[in-house]
Amino acid sequence: MAQIYVSWIGHAFIAIIGLILMTYTLATGAMLKGRIRSKQANIFPLHKKAAIYYGTFILGTFLYGLLIEIKHEEPVLTSIHGRLGILLLLIVFFQIIPSLAAKDRTRIRKLHKILGYALAPLMFMEVSWGLYNGLISGSKNLVLIHSMSGGLTALALVWIILEILYPTKEGIVRTKIASYSAAFLVVVGSWIIGGYNYLTNYGSQVKPIILSGPKPWAHSIVMEVKEHIFIFLPIIIIALSMTLVIIDQDSVLKDPNVRRAIAITATLAFLMILLMFLMGAIVSNAGNVGLEV
Amino acid sequence: MKKEPATFLLSAAATILITGSIIIAHDLSGGFKQYLVDLTGHHWTSVSIIAVVLFMLISLLILSSEKLAILLKANDLKIWTRGLAAATLLAILGTFMVYIYTTLR
Repeated sequence: MAQIYVSWIGHAFIAIIGLILMTYTLATGAMLKGRIRSKQANIFPLHKKAAIYYGTFILGTFLYGLLIEIKHEEPVLTSIHGRLGILLLLIVFFQIIPSLAAKDRTRIRKLHKILGYALAPLMFMEVSWGLYNGLISGSKNLVLIHSMSGGLTALALVWIILEILYPTKEGIVRTKIASYSAAFLVVVGSWIIGGYNYLTNYGSQVKPIILSGPKPWAHSIVMEVKEHIFIFLPIIIIALSMTLVIIDQDSVLKDPNVRRAIAITATLAFLMILLMFLMGAIVSNAGNVGLEV
Repeated sequence: MKKEPATFLLSAAATILITGSIIIAHDLSGGFKQYLVDLTGHHWTSVSIIAVVLFMLISLLILSSEKLAILLKANDLKIWTRGLAAATLLAILGTFMVYIYTTLR
């Protein structure tokens, strides 16, 4: 039981650090190119430092994962989690090494930008996959899709918040794209697929195990609350998306009250996703503990 | 149809408050829960559909009635951002409390 707890806590801890480092690296990269406005004059040293920390972190977690697989005598790098890890590692190194070595970085800028932004969804997929491997031994695809959609929606919301904090004309267009993506992901991935899983698999397979285990409250309180308050989340994100549709670009750029309203609504939705992740982790942990009894 | 900027935030706040009340009521009343089950086959599906329909209806109502939009201050983003956050917090806390109460009862 303690081992399972350590397993998902460890994954969650690593996931949070990785996502913070990635967001910081991406944000400083966007500031460097003026996509996000910044008051600081020299951003490059910050971006370089963040990228090196992020790269070292990815290398460290990859090696640690490899070590664990070898220790457990499992086939090395055959899982999707492992292969995604290699892909992330390669991209990160391809981002850092040429940028540090090249004297003229203008030639690699476009590729650097594309690979940099590609890292974000890949990282979220990897993190969600790892977290759920730690939680439920990676057998439930629907739960995985549900969780990944949640992770990607959170990413889109962070994107909205960053764009709104440092507004530009092009940034407002990107904010709208991010809000449509968030609405699509939360409705299709989290609501419809998650709902289908809840109505079919959860009730017949997971719920009886939790109720007969040592933590029945994980269903009767945590899951019951989660399944119901979740419904508020797509409503908030759709409202945010529709608000961005009807508000004209100039008022977003000129009126700080409008920007504050968008940032607060996106933050509200983001905090709700964090709450959903926490509650989902408690329910999955109770299911694992129930299986062991 | 005049589109006031806070229309959808207002509509989301009202939807969340009403849906939150439905969630609390269906957990306290077995008869109401059964009614929701009878509607679609599962109470969760019924609550989800009700939330969507409510959001659409309230939004359309505000968009189509200028008087209502003025009365509800649908142009005030500041009020309705706070209103949405307060409604969400209230509905979450209410749901938590009712499930803790029914579990411990």
